[in-house]
Amino acid sequence: MKWPKPVSRTPRLGRASLSEKAAQRLTITLLLAPAILVILLLFMGGLITGFLRSLGYFPLIGLNDFNFEAYTTVFTDNGFIRSFILTFHIAFTSTLIASILAVASAMLLRPAFRGKRFVQFIFSLNLTIPHLVGAVGVLYLFSGSGLVSRLATGAGLIDSPQGFPAMVNDPWAIGIIIQYVWKEIPFIGVIVLAILLSVGEDYESVARSLGANRWQAFRNVTLPLIMPGVVSASVIVFAFTFGAFEIPWLLGSTFPKALPVLAFESYTDVDLAARPQAMAMAMVIAVMSSLMILAYMKVSRRYVRS
Amino acid sequence: MTQVTLSALTKQFDEKSPPAVDRLDLEIESGKLTALLGPSGCGKTTTMKMIAGLLRPTSGDIGFNGESILSIPPEDRGAVMVFQNYLLFPYMTIAENIGFGLKMRKVDRKEIRTRVTDMLDLVQLPGFEDRKPRQLSGGQQQRIALARALIVQPNVLLLDEPLSNLDAHLRDEMRELIRRIQTEMEITTVFVTHDQEEAVVLADRIALLFDGQLQQFDVPDAFFESPESIEIAKFFGGTNFIPGHYEGGEITTAIGRFRAPRSAVEGGDAVLSIRPEAVTLGAAEGNSVMGRIRSHVYVGRYARFRITLGEIEVEAITDPAQVKLFNDGDEVPVTFDPAKIWVIRPASSEQ
Repeated sequence: MKWPKPVSRTPRLGRASLSEKAAQRLTITLLLAPAILVILLLFMGGLITGFLRSLGYFPLIGLNDFNFEAYTTVFTDNGFIRSFILTFHIAFTSTLIASILAVASAMLLRPAFRGKRFVQFIFSLNLTIPHLVGAVGVLYLFSGSGLVSRLATGAGLIDSPQGFPAMVNDPWAIGIIIQYVWKEIPFIGVIVLAILLSVGEDYESVARSLGANRWQAFRNVTLPLIMPGVVSASVIVFAFTFGAFEIPWLLGSTFPKALPVLAFESYTDVDLAARPQAMAMAMVIAVMSSLMILAYMKVSRRYVRS
Repeated sequence: MTQVTLSALTKQFDEKSPPAVDRLDLEIESGKLTALLGPSGCGKTTTMKMIAGLLRPTSGDIGFNGESILSIPPEDRGAVMVFQNYLLFPYMTIAENIGFGLKMRKVDRKEIRTRVTDMLDLVQLPGFEDRKPRQLSGGQQQRIALARALIVQPNVLLLDEPLSNLDAHLRDEMRELIRRIQTEMEITTVFVTHDQEEAVVLADRIALLFDGQLQQFDVPDAFFESPESIEIAKFFGGTNFIPGHYEGGEITTAIGRFRAPRSAVEGGDAVLSIRPEAVTLGAAEGNSVMGRIRSHVYVGRYARFRITLGEIEVEAITDPAQVKLFNDGDEVPVTFDPAKIWVIRPASSEQ
């Protein structure tokens, strides 16, 4: 009896697998096409239109030439520079404070203790509360006629609510920072806590056993291990706080204004000629956010590599 | 040189479950290698972490050279633990890893560098300073972890399953390295293992733990020759246990009476235990009974026979050549060498 020749079922390496790969790539592209289309049309489309308008190209109102006038105006305007500094201050300070407090809270929430689930629930509760609600809360608590001010007056710490330091609509953007910190601690904290739990306590145990005290173990071992997570979470927070409009609009001072507020107000200005400037500002915000993300990728990749 | 004393050491993680370590008394000799042996989950690593100060005991005491160290934080105990999965700090170079303990002690950089080089020589990995942990094999990582512990000149070295993640030939190498370093530096060393062979080969003394309780603390050969219970004998590969009555140096069982000068009991109900290697087939030299060969396996280095003696079945491990002498079903005289019989108390009186 003759046995049939064995048929090789394994594809030959080389051309066959190459065309297979190409087919695979095409499938993935097709599957992603709807998402890519939305991104291209809405996001890139908007960005390109915005960019063209920032260059002064706005045929609808008779502006047909390309120029950098809007950028020159924006960058030479003292108000814009101050707005830029204020916005950076808001984003940087709130991100820094929120990150430090989030890491501290995550460290506190890491060990097992009675009622941990409940505490964790409370901790992450305000992830679900909208920013606007938080802003209203800050108004109620920290404005000149707010709860804290009245309590301080009642306790005799200040003579009258007028003596309460400006914390809302103030030049240092304290109200805005309070709101962002309050809202972003659980966001960063939940991410850091997840990393802490997955890293475990063994590395710290090794460090302690080798002679590191609590602080040294945290500083030299735990912190470097969780840093990639802290960086990635805080960059998201930074990019958001840099570009968000509603909180500085509600809680910010009248001068200087945060960049997103300034851009929005120029955009809604009755003078349509202010549009290019609004777009130029929007571009600056977009470029800044992109730079932040690039910087983050560089930093985090350095950590991941090692 | 540090002597470690555990007195009634207990760790209970929660009230509902039994203690992980239960009233453990142990005197760990200074400058010797002691194994904490037992199946997984028997409290070995928990004991080790308590010695290192990484876990707080529920009750009991730990003393170094007679002085309680419970109030001393881990960083000041000088009891350094090497974990089973090495746990080299991934973002540090090998030199930074090894020098970590000295850096924490704020030792001058130059001195750290020379001592790191010395350590790399000691663990036979010279020139590895600038590599990263992930570039190293498991065996190399383990040696770096060992070097990282040794550089701080610990009072007590604690090794958690030091050989279990290594393949066979690396195991031998590592075993020799640990022995050599331990003898040279005379560090009191405790290591945890679930592998009785590893414990026997490496340790000066073995503490056997089941369910958080100390079963026997002895030199390795005692676990083969005079185990204190059937469970201990079984853990060390004992297979033949025949119940009987012990009196006047003889044990009377269902299959006959045997001379047995070595015993853990004075008299009364007892169990005859004999290791399969000590059961001989063929010549009847006294202390023998007739048995029938039920089955046999040829393993190469030895042969294993199963023999029925009335109601009882025993196992014999013999010279491999004996498979040519006997067939399954044959009647053979089975001899228990009196010097190798060990009479144990029966399991029921154990609890």
